Amino acid sequence: MFDLEKSIKSWLRLFQKHRAFNHGAIREMELHLRDHIDDLLTQGYTQQQAFDLAVKEFGEIKPMAKEAYWSQRPKSNNNFFIHTTMLKNYFKIAVRNFIKHKFYTFVNVLGLTVGLSTVFMIGLFVSDELGFDQFHEKKELLYRVVENQYYDGQPVFPVAVTPDALGPSLYEEYPEIVHFTRASGQNYNFQLGDLKIAESNGYMVDEQFFEMFSFPIIKGTAADFKEKHNTLILTKDLSDKYFPDEDPIGKSIKLSGEDFVISAVMENVPKNSHLYFTYLTNFEKSISENPGRATNWRSNGIYTYVELSEQADLTEVNKKVINQIKKNSEGSITDIYLQPITDIYLGDVDFVVEVSRKSQMIYVQIFSIVAVFILLISCINFMNLSTARSAKRAKEVGLRKTIGAQRSQLIFQFLSESVLLTMTAVLLSVLLVALVLPSFNQLANKDFVIQELLTAESGFRLALGILLVAIATGLIAGSYPALFLSSTKPIDTLNAQSITLKRGAGLRKALVIFQFIISIVLVIGTIAIYQQLSFIQNVDLGYNKENIIYTSAPSSQVKLLTNELRGQPGIINVGRSSHHPAYVLSSSSGFIWPGQNADETFLFHYMGMDEHYPATMEMNILEGRSFLEADTATVMINEKAKAMMGLENPVGQTITAFGEQRIVGVIEDFNFKSIHSEIEPMVIFKFDRMNRVYVKYEPSQKDAIVATLENSWNKIFPEREFSYDFLEEDFQELYEAEQRTSTLSTYFAILAIIVSCLGLFGLVSYAMEQRMREIGIRKVLGASVSNLFVLLTGDFTKLILISLVISMPLGWYAMNQWLNGFAYHIELSIGMFVLSAFSALVITLLTVSYQSIRASTNNPVRALRNE
Amino acid sequence: MISKNLSAATTKPIILGILKQGNSYGYLIIKKIKELSDGKMEWSDGMLYPVLHRLEKDELIKSEWIMAENSRPRKYYQITPAGQEALMVEREQWLQVNSLLDALWDVKPTI
Repeated sequence: MFDLEKSIKSWLRLFQKHRAFNHGAIREMELHLRDHIDDLLTQGYTQQQAFDLAVKEFGEIKPMAKEAYWSQRPKSNNNFFIHTTMLKNYFKIAVRNFIKHKFYTFVNVLGLTVGLSTVFMIGLFVSDELGFDQFHEKKELLYRVVENQYYDGQPVFPVAVTPDALGPSLYEEYPEIVHFTRASGQNYNFQLGDLKIAESNGYMVDEQFFEMFSFPIIKGTAADFKEKHNTLILTKDLSDKYFPDEDPIGKSIKLSGEDFVISAVMENVPKNSHLYFTYLTNFEKSISENPGRATNWRSNGIYTYVELSEQADLTEVNKKVINQIKKNSEGSITDIYLQPITDIYLGDVDFVVEVSRKSQMIYVQIFSIVAVFILLISCINFMNLSTARSAKRAKEVGLRKTIGAQRSQLIFQFLSESVLLTMTAVLLSVLLVALVLPSFNQLANKDFVIQELLTAESGFRLALGILLVAIATGLIAGSYPALFLSSTKPIDTLNAQSITLKRGAGLRKALVIFQFIISIVLVIGTIAIYQQLSFIQNVDLGYNKENIIYTSAPSSQVKLLTNELRGQPGIINVGRSSHHPAYVLSSSSGFIWPGQNADETFLFHYMGMDEHYPATMEMNILEGRSFLEADTATVMINEKAKAMMGLENPVGQTITAFGEQRIVGVIEDFNFKSIHSEIEPMVIFKFDRMNRVYVKYEPSQKDAIVATLENSWNKIFPEREFSYDFLEEDFQELYEAEQRTSTLSTYFAILAIIVSCLGLFGLVSYAMEQRMREIGIRKVLGASVSNLFVLLTGDFTKLILISLVISMPLGWYAMNQWLNGFAYHIELSIGMFVLSAFSALVITLLTVSYQSIRASTNNPVRALRNE
Repeated sequence: MISKNLSAATTKPIILGILKQGNSYGYLIIKKIKELSDGKMEWSDGMLYPVLHRLEKDELIKSEWIMAENSRPRKYYQITPAGQEALMVEREQWLQVNSLLDALWDVKPTI
């Protein structure tokens, strides 16, 4: 029998499937149907006929739902963001939650603060590194001319310095080149009244220098720089040093005995300029004194910079100029090309005779990655803690949903909570960065000043950067918790304790593993970098750099000084040479030896030493003998040179190298460049004029040696300033970049570990809190403290073990890549990995065990009395 | 029979037009349409409601539940001033279409 009411009810249920219809709309349609049926009944239809007809005429529900939903959607969208009344409530609830759970708030904020501070500091570092030479207005047009030299059987030999004649010839021949300047490092002794100081940071430049670079002149003029050969331009610091209270313009000052007139004062050279100088002199002066320089195409000694016209195309210009040296110098094997000045500082070509202000892109990249990793680690802390503790918030979510909150609103609520927390962390980390900035400057060899960072221009950029990082962090850290928390079903939450710690536990574990993978890789990296650096510093250079002090004397009288020194107490030996032992950059391709293939060109480095030098430096003679005092026209060669020449018994043979020379000995290979590069073939001459004096002293005399040296110096050169250096200190400078990376990466690894452990600590604390009752019951039933400890730490230890298994190969791969950049490097040892695994485990166990021990020693009565 | 598309396009002016003659509720509105069109409009009754609700959201009409003692509650719709304006605009447009079609089809046969 047909039941009208039942049929109408089941028809109405069809509407409930669609979200588009609310209660009112469904009621409205029910009334419609009933009216229609009533009408039809009066027309004589049966109940069933009337119902069927009314439903048929009402039509299908699905297209209606679509139509209705489409017309309603914008309305619900509008509701999403502009619930200002709710904002206040969100804020209140957030603050209450933060205060109620002080410990977790603290862990979260601390983790984020440490993460963000690291990101900000690395951000400063990276933007400064990338900003090198960006301050030149014409930076897009400025280039340095550099060389590629090609020798047979050797890799391409890149050289940053060029012949003196190159700059002017490029300028004259190519209209695209609108300006040029040469730059050559200078080293003068400044003398003003009683003041005598060696100033080593000078450059000799051409007049167009001032038109090309943006080093502003603040006083005086460089207009007649070219004509007046003895013109001197000082930077502000140097001017203040010699003329503290007066106008230096027009004043004269003695540079190595010669009078120079100061024509202008420049702004100090910015820290982020690869060209660094404190004073400038005139290149024309050197040419007028040594006219041969103007046509020198053979020896490379100066930097050449050019400015291209705006229309010029770099590739075209490079094509035209590539053979400029070959055109002018017969037999040359040298190509040239233009290197953008903004590429110099971070460029990856390892030029010979590079400026000292040079870094490598790889460090910028490594640090950027590390920053992102540390930030990720702290975001993960936040995610894990928030989701783990979701049960605490589940009731709130359930209630909000029951009252009518939409999921989007809940997501918005939780996201704004995390952004709020992040903002707090941002403020704290900005303060923290400001506090540690001086120490960071020292570590990273930068000079960030807060006042300068806050100027209108950079302050805005900085604020924008901070804001972006803050919002990104808030969103990354908050997104998963927001989605997770808002997905709670109200029915579950109001149904007692059906939500447990288990929810989302899988992902949490994965994230903890991820955190520890990153941390352990950083630890492995740090250990490897540290070991490699101590290896480098202790590698056998082929000579002994310890207990050597050195100075330079005028070559005409240098023998007087060495003879004087030999008699002094505490001095073991005194030798002379033409080069610093770690910077032998002179080379020649013009040497000829018996049996040489005349078609091929070979490059030899060369230096000069006297008969005492090999003994002073403790170098080993492998064949023949060292130089004797009476030797003339004799050379020694190193093992590499012997191999390249292919001579069986080189001693006694004659080669042509700056005249005919007889080989008297073969010296053991020693490093004469950076340890990054391999030892190259070398010929050693016994030059007459060698002004570098190396003194080997007794280790016990270290404190007295400077005075001893100075006394002797003053006897022989009473009018000259005495200066000295310790060889060991030079090596520390040589590896300063690596040293800095090593220190910085140590700090970063420690930070990463701290932040990871902080998150773990929070998670463990929460887990213990949850398992209080379980632990109590276990204790009552007879579990011992050690049973419980194993039970509680086991879970987390497993995670760390998994991270170890994954991070070991990753760390091994990454460090192998880095080490391959060194010609001499350590092999990654198993011990290293064991050490990092061990330390990771110990640190984790310490973190976990504090809470575990606390929980397992707790009196079970306290945990259970509420049951 | 008037096609679905054309019916859909005319819903708005028709509903507004009916309500202009006096307040009404859903079932009566559809009944009126059916009477006026002689059942020639291809319309399912249900499609009226989303349109009514959209017009209400656009504030062209407003509604009120009326509880009468001797009958079921009814949701009465009433045209608003904005609705009257919208109706004028619609009217204008339909007249334009109408005159265009007139001009096309009322061509007098040439001799």
